[in-house]
Amino acid sequence: MPKCTINGKEVEVKEGTSIIEAMQVSGDRIAHYCWHPGLSVAGVCRLCVVEIEGNPRVQIACNTMVTEGMKINNTSEKVKDTVKWGLDFHLINHPLDCPICDQAGECGLQDQYMEYGKYDPEMAEAKVKKHKVVDLGPTVVLDSERCILCSRCVRFTEEVSKTNELGLFNRGDRTEIGTHDGMPLDNKYSLNTVDICPVGALTSKDFRFRQRVWYLKDGDSVCNGCSTGCNIKVYYNKEGLFRIKPVYNEQVNGHWMCDSGRNAYKFVNREARLLKGIARGTEMAPGAAAKSASEVLKSTSGDAVALVLTAQYTVEEYEAIIKTFVEEFKTKKVFFWINNKETFDSFDGLLSRGDKNPNTKGLLKVMEKYGISATWTDLSAGLANGSIKTVVVAGPENQAVFPEYNEKLKELSKAQNLIWMQAGKNEALTALTGNVWIIPMKTFVEKDGTFINHSGLEQKIKKVTNVVSEALTVTEAALLLSGKNLAMPMMAPFMPTNQRPDQVELEARKKNEFVFRRGSL
Amino acid sequence: MAEIKVLSEHYHLPEYQTLAGYKAKGGYETLPKAFKMQPQQIIDEVKASGLRGRGGAGFPTGMKWGFLPKNGEPRYLLCNADEGEPGTFKDRMMMERAPHQLIEGMIISAFAIGSHKGYIYVRGEYVYPIDVLNKAIKEAYDAGLLGKNIMGSGFDFDLDVYRGAGAYICGEETGMISSLEGLKGQPKLKPPFPAVQGYLRKPTIVNNVETLAAVTYIIKDGAQAYRKHGTEKSAGTKLFSVSGNVVKPGNYEVPLGYPLIDLINKECGGMKPGRKLKAIIPGGSSAPVLTAEECGKANLDYESLAGLGTMLGSGAVIVMDDSQCMVDMLGVLTHFYAHESCGQCTPCREGTGWLDKILHSILEGRGRLQDIDLLIKVADNMKGKTICALSDAAALPVLSFVTKFRDEFEFYVREGRSKVKGTTYAEMHH
Repeated sequence: MPKCTINGKEVEVKEGTSIIEAMQVSGDRIAHYCWHPGLSVAGVCRLCVVEIEGNPRVQIACNTMVTEGMKINNTSEKVKDTVKWGLDFHLINHPLDCPICDQAGECGLQDQYMEYGKYDPEMAEAKVKKHKVVDLGPTVVLDSERCILCSRCVRFTEEVSKTNELGLFNRGDRTEIGTHDGMPLDNKYSLNTVDICPVGALTSKDFRFRQRVWYLKDGDSVCNGCSTGCNIKVYYNKEGLFRIKPVYNEQVNGHWMCDSGRNAYKFVNREARLLKGIARGTEMAPGAAAKSASEVLKSTSGDAVALVLTAQYTVEEYEAIIKTFVEEFKTKKVFFWINNKETFDSFDGLLSRGDKNPNTKGLLKVMEKYGISATWTDLSAGLANGSIKTVVVAGPENQAVFPEYNEKLKELSKAQNLIWMQAGKNEALTALTGNVWIIPMKTFVEKDGTFINHSGLEQKIKKVTNVVSEALTVTEAALLLSGKNLAMPMMAPFMPTNQRPDQVELEARKKNEFVFRRGSL
Repeated sequence: MAEIKVLSEHYHLPEYQTLAGYKAKGGYETLPKAFKMQPQQIIDEVKASGLRGRGGAGFPTGMKWGFLPKNGEPRYLLCNADEGEPGTFKDRMMMERAPHQLIEGMIISAFAIGSHKGYIYVRGEYVYPIDVLNKAIKEAYDAGLLGKNIMGSGFDFDLDVYRGAGAYICGEETGMISSLEGLKGQPKLKPPFPAVQGYLRKPTIVNNVETLAAVTYIIKDGAQAYRKHGTEKSAGTKLFSVSGNVVKPGNYEVPLGYPLIDLINKECGGMKPGRKLKAIIPGGSSAPVLTAEECGKANLDYESLAGLGTMLGSGAVIVMDDSQCMVDMLGVLTHFYAHESCGQCTPCREGTGWLDKILHSILEGRGRLQDIDLLIKVADNMKGKTICALSDAAALPVLSFVTKFRDEFEFYVREGRSKVKGTTYAEMHH
């Protein structure tokens, strides 16, 4: 465990730690573009320079290992001057298109300029023109002029996705990234290249030009796209959700997530959602629809009632609804609706799993707790012989991963009474007539709870935002279906009426000198 | 004449290119001797000879071989024949005239380092030398000098020629390894050094053509015989490729430490009639330029030239007389480096292009006086700040040209034409 001194502070790090990693430990800021903790060291942006006592030249921190007693400094004038020049080299051919750049607001180059730049440019020559709006594949667009050739994206396709679509072509200041001949950037993880691009060179076709990032808030959650349970950040505002990005978790997903997981925000948005409950063809509030359905459940209990669950809800929700059915409706006819059973155990070797549910283990755990052993064959038989009269279904939340949805709907609608709890719209469902109740449900970003991933890891999810505030959680629906009432929610903490919850503190504003030097701009 | 032909003694004989011709002059006689030695003895002999890498860096060869890890992993011997530095053409002659000398040197070197596979990485444009080498390798295989159980020694060594696609930076050892691996020729971060992790991530020794060819002589006649030539720290002889405004440009083998001015005046016949020496780049275009006055003090060895702020490099001596415009010369060099930068490290990728643009602004009459200092600032901030030495190679000529011939640059900016030639860039080149 070598000890070193970074900017006067003593830091102890693990053997084999690079200076840049040691600076993450010490909390010292250091400029860098090409270094990424999830990729090999390229050492090409030459910005993470430090002075090491006894060494006449500045060194790059990403490829220099800490040794015992090393004295490191990155605040000296020599380092600042080197970084300033490094930045200059990055900027001489970079277009000044921040106002129309999709990365504005979260661009490494902007950050660096504010830290080390703010001087008159010395370059009087014409900039090198490169290609713009290069269609790299189905998900990503490249603006070569903005690219600072950090090679993170190239290394990602070499080292992580192992698909090798990207390369660096040409030489000198004509160098551009691009795809190898006849090989578009088209892999299940392609959008990670957009995440790791430190500038606005690679942009997501899905997200670009849809929102300025400073109009977005974010919240942490867990992806419900498959049983891996990638940690994610959800970006949203009052207009809805706009994107999902991975959050580092060494145990689960490292730095990455798959492209299909990123699409989860789409079925959460209001336009894809059921907004009103339906009780026997009459529209009403979701809670009222659940209350209405409770009347049917009162009259048919025991083995005449069946519950069908998909594995996309939280452990707490399963606990609530299964307990209700077992203890109050006196039935153990609880069924696990398995989608794509034949690929349930498949795994692509990186993150994506065949089980496209975030909480299969959680559901099975609760079912086991209540001694549930019913199989789908029992349900089919019960529906066929008429012994099962009322069926309550929860899910699916992400209908795209349930390809047999319509067949299952057909089968389940044979019941006398069908109570269906679901978040997203579905034409076949809403077209059903008769004794059908449809109850709009909340999605994974609108509630608290626990998912248990494929390896048995319990991960808490927190409510990020309310998209359909009237929608119910399964827990709330269980209460209402059993004829109980919902408790009043906790009051929000007191806040002066003239202060917005997201209001920026004055101290934070002071850091942005634009606010205070408006006249000089 | 001070030429001492240790390596190039028989280069004038056309038959020396063939196995029979080479053998007739004692070729491959050193191999049996080498096979009787222990590999470590060979390494020690090379160390004792003081042989330093002839590709440019001048690193002690035996010491480099000593860096190989002793872990039993397969290891490779790569011959760096990607001779791309402007002004350098010595390796070409060695490959054309004495391919078997290189092959024999490689077999001995491979035996010393325990390598069973070697490649000669040749600059792609060298079509004729590649042809000669391939023929020689075939002859060597047919004669049992390459392949399995060479000369009954139990030692196996396979050798191939790899034709580069034509990038200057593939002459840098890690860039060459990338290229050989089928990747874009881009240098890699060091450490790890190739001796530890090189071709296919295995221990690899990369030596220049001239270095490997010298190994045969060292093993044949002994380290002390080699040390008779040259200086204490720069032992042996060296091939210098002289180009520019001399009467007899060409390759000359002289002992290290030989006075630069004698090479020009005695071996090369002096300057062209009526012209005066103005400047010399002593070690390939990446070396800082020497003024005529400095040339008088320079000896052709690593230490003397370092003392004058320049370097021996690959031994490419580029001679300029008083008719040369230094602004134009620097424009040519800078354009070359801007074209050849691999594009990997930002200061080199952008800096070489920036230097090129500034110089062409000056040459085309659009220069500003502050551009002269800007050239120095840009070059200063490229020097020593990248993965490989290409950035330095571009920056050092700029710093030396602008510092030593500043008056020519200022004149060009003020007048929009060359101080020496009196003409504009367009007139100079049309």
